[in-house]
Amino acid sequence: METIIKPNTITEKVLKLIESNFSTLIEGSEKDNAIKAFVSQGVPSRKHEEYKYVNVDQILKDDFVLATQKNISKEQIEHLKILKGAFIAVIVNGVFNEELSQLNNLPKGLIISSISSAAENNKLIFEKHYSRYAEINTDSFVALNTSLAKSGVFINVEKSVIVETPIHIIHVSSANENIIINPRNLIVVDENAQAKIIESYETIDSSSKIFNNALTEIVVCENSIVDHYKIQDENEFGYLLNTTQVVQQKKSLFSTHTFTLSGSLVRNNLNIVLDGEHIETHLNGLYLTNGNQVVDTHTVVDHRKPNCNSNELYKGIIEGKSSATFNGKIFVRKDAQKTNAFQSNKNILLSDDGTINTKPQLEIYADDVKCSHGTSTGKLDADKIFYLRARGLSEASAKKLLMHAFASEVVNTIKIEALREYVEEKITKRFE
Amino acid sequence: MANEILEEQIGGEYKYGFVTDIEADNAPKGLNEDIIHFISKKKNEPEWMLEYRLKAFRYWLTLEEPHWAHVSYTKPNFQDIIYYSAPKQQKKLGSLDEVDPELLKTFEKLGISIEEQKRLSGVESRIAVDIVMDSVSVKTTFKETLSEAGIIFCSFGEAVQEHPDLVKKYMGSVVPYTDNFYAALNSAVFTDGSFCYIPKGVRCPMELSTYFRINASGTGQFERTLLIADEDAYVSYLEGCTAPQRDENQLHAAVVEIITHKNAEVKYSTVQNWYPGDKNGKGGIFNFVTKRGICLEENGKISWTQVETGSAVTWKYPSVILKGNNSVGEFYSVAVTNNYQQADTGTKMIHIGKNTRSTIISKGISAGFSNNSYRGLVRVSKGATNARNFSQCDSLLMGDKCGAHTFPYIEIKDKTAIVEHEATTSKIGEDQLFYCKQRGIDTEKAIGLIVNGYCKEVLNKLPMEFAVEAQKLLAVSLEGSVG
Repeated sequence: METIIKPNTITEKVLKLIESNFSTLIEGSEKDNAIKAFVSQGVPSRKHEEYKYVNVDQILKDDFVLATQKNISKEQIEHLKILKGAFIAVIVNGVFNEELSQLNNLPKGLIISSISSAAENNKLIFEKHYSRYAEINTDSFVALNTSLAKSGVFINVEKSVIVETPIHIIHVSSANENIIINPRNLIVVDENAQAKIIESYETIDSSSKIFNNALTEIVVCENSIVDHYKIQDENEFGYLLNTTQVVQQKKSLFSTHTFTLSGSLVRNNLNIVLDGEHIETHLNGLYLTNGNQVVDTHTVVDHRKPNCNSNELYKGIIEGKSSATFNGKIFVRKDAQKTNAFQSNKNILLSDDGTINTKPQLEIYADDVKCSHGTSTGKLDADKIFYLRARGLSEASAKKLLMHAFASEVVNTIKIEALREYVEEKITKRFE
Repeated sequence: MANEILEEQIGGEYKYGFVTDIEADNAPKGLNEDIIHFISKKKNEPEWMLEYRLKAFRYWLTLEEPHWAHVSYTKPNFQDIIYYSAPKQQKKLGSLDEVDPELLKTFEKLGISIEEQKRLSGVESRIAVDIVMDSVSVKTTFKETLSEAGIIFCSFGEAVQEHPDLVKKYMGSVVPYTDNFYAALNSAVFTDGSFCYIPKGVRCPMELSTYFRINASGTGQFERTLLIADEDAYVSYLEGCTAPQRDENQLHAAVVEIITHKNAEVKYSTVQNWYPGDKNGKGGIFNFVTKRGICLEENGKISWTQVETGSAVTWKYPSVILKGNNSVGEFYSVAVTNNYQQADTGTKMIHIGKNTRSTIISKGISAGFSNNSYRGLVRVSKGATNARNFSQCDSLLMGDKCGAHTFPYIEIKDKTAIVEHEATTSKIGEDQLFYCKQRGIDTEKAIGLIVNGYCKEVLNKLPMEFAVEAQKLLAVSLEGSVG
């Protein structure tokens, strides 16, 4: 393999891992291209504009190995099953685990399987969609995932099938030495179909760093409706780099909700391409940070065709020495007339040592559009606290109430009731 | 229909595109240590100044041109620029009568009165002007009146000769030569500019102004402005600029530094109207400017107001470092781009002191094939208790071939900070136009009306003499660009 530029030492380290890895989902020239793309971009340092506020390269400086199979019992993950009746697909250390999953009685027209078996059994769909959307040449972690990915979940909802039961993908990791894992999911929701998908990221029983470079590609076909949730609740060993690449076809509706509750580092790359007319997109997010956590959310909403709407709301509460970054881009391409795009980011900074960085961006090349973004950062409103205290609440409970109210705007967008209760409970615990 | 009017107007002429046939004293093309020695010698500079330049030059050699701005242009060939060009004059001027009549005519054509007279009839409004043509300051008016109040207002070159202590103390203290590529280049080769010092307790009795004119071909203009307001001082400062119409891209890389002490206030207004290039995007000025002010002590205030209509490529961020407690920074900007112009402009507000406040109002208007970006940073450092910022960036799009972009950076490290940012992008509403037309106002005028209303918040901040000019300029730049 020829290298374009001389990789730095961290990139070289990771490259050695790639070279020691076999039987990936794609082989041959496509894999070579991914490796080349990774090497030419390297592991981004803080000098990289998109990685300005997060030092991923510092984490990868340590020695890591590729994840190996890990035995986890059913009991160990019982508490991670948020929804009792859901179809559950479990990924352990990046590898789909059929035994732990609950995929009995799938309705007709719904396929949930490991992605490697889909590559054989659902060849047509796999080849049409796999690695067609996430861009290896502009994001080195996409390139890394593409060159390393061996396993993950494949979901296909066939034409006109409406799946009422939520589908829950549990990513659970556990390690006693530093590991890198690269799960890769592909979700294709065909024309007129509907699905509710939850992805959760958890760590159990660990004593070493887990670098989870997870990538999910979602194809939302014409007229379909997809409701997508992410619950990121790893422990202090979890370093999560989570890319979600979505492509929407005309008249589709896609809503995504990201809840970042814990984890040492969470970097979200959420890219949504609106590739058709009359599309509606909702992006909601809530991040609660504490301790030395770093949470960095990058979203890109790419309006390529006219007459589409997008609406984005991200909120954060920052405590301790943690740092939170929100970077939201809205592109409106030349032809995307009559676009309505809104974006809002609100933060509360509660501690002396916390940091908030926000960078809402608009890049607009069409004139008949309505686009706006707003961001605000502040403390809890003293007047509001006074109001509550005047009514007999203690200062602590007044603050708690206000934080709840602040978070509820995002929490209330959850349409699955059991999930909403779960998230609410988590938040309540957090504010205790 | 809309496009027709637009096309028609895109042909709008740049009024200041003429060249004055004036004999100039040029340095040879190229950039090396000899040229720096040459400039320094021409200016009869002391040793420390030369050393400063050389240090900056050697540092510059280690730098690479930055690429992060949302603009694209052919990189200037730094060896193909004349770094020193001065209108030839034999001796030091005693009075106006001795100024080359060609030069006087130039400024008359530009509508700038070099003579010391009342500007607007019936209004007692005088402006002291320092005129910089190509590399040197030509004339500073009202110098005597100002010096009675203890105010020093002169060309940078004179300041180096006559007030070396002040220059030494403040030059590079806000924008060090290590700051960025163009600041380093400027520090190495700057030829002149304006210097102003307002002593303790003095409220400057008139508007001070610098007028920049590029005339000679193949030159680059590198001037420096240094403005110091001592305790309790106040000054309002204006800056204007034009250049001839040429096919080549000329480089303008200036540095402006402002320092305010306790309770001092500086208001800095710019109407930037460098030649923007023709309708095919050929020619025009590259305007790469570093402007920064610092409120050193408490209760200082620095306010930037800018109306940007010219230049092929603009790349500037007038900034304020709010170091003193209770200091205030303001940024009001209207940036208009048409044809193939590109602008990447905004501000930085760095909150360091306690109870510091900043306001950012930015209005971008893009028409034709142009791209207009707002890029700004609001940083609240730890310990900047009760810092407060409000930013609003609006963009107006006229035509479907232009772009409007917003890149705000907000970095907060103090929990008592309250920071708000809002941005909108839209076009002139059909209903707004309809409303005006229904009342007998034609499309042209209606657009003028709407655009002026849109920019009002900023235009209101300009000194009266400039506001009139700016409104006219807006009308010329945009007439008929129906959205």
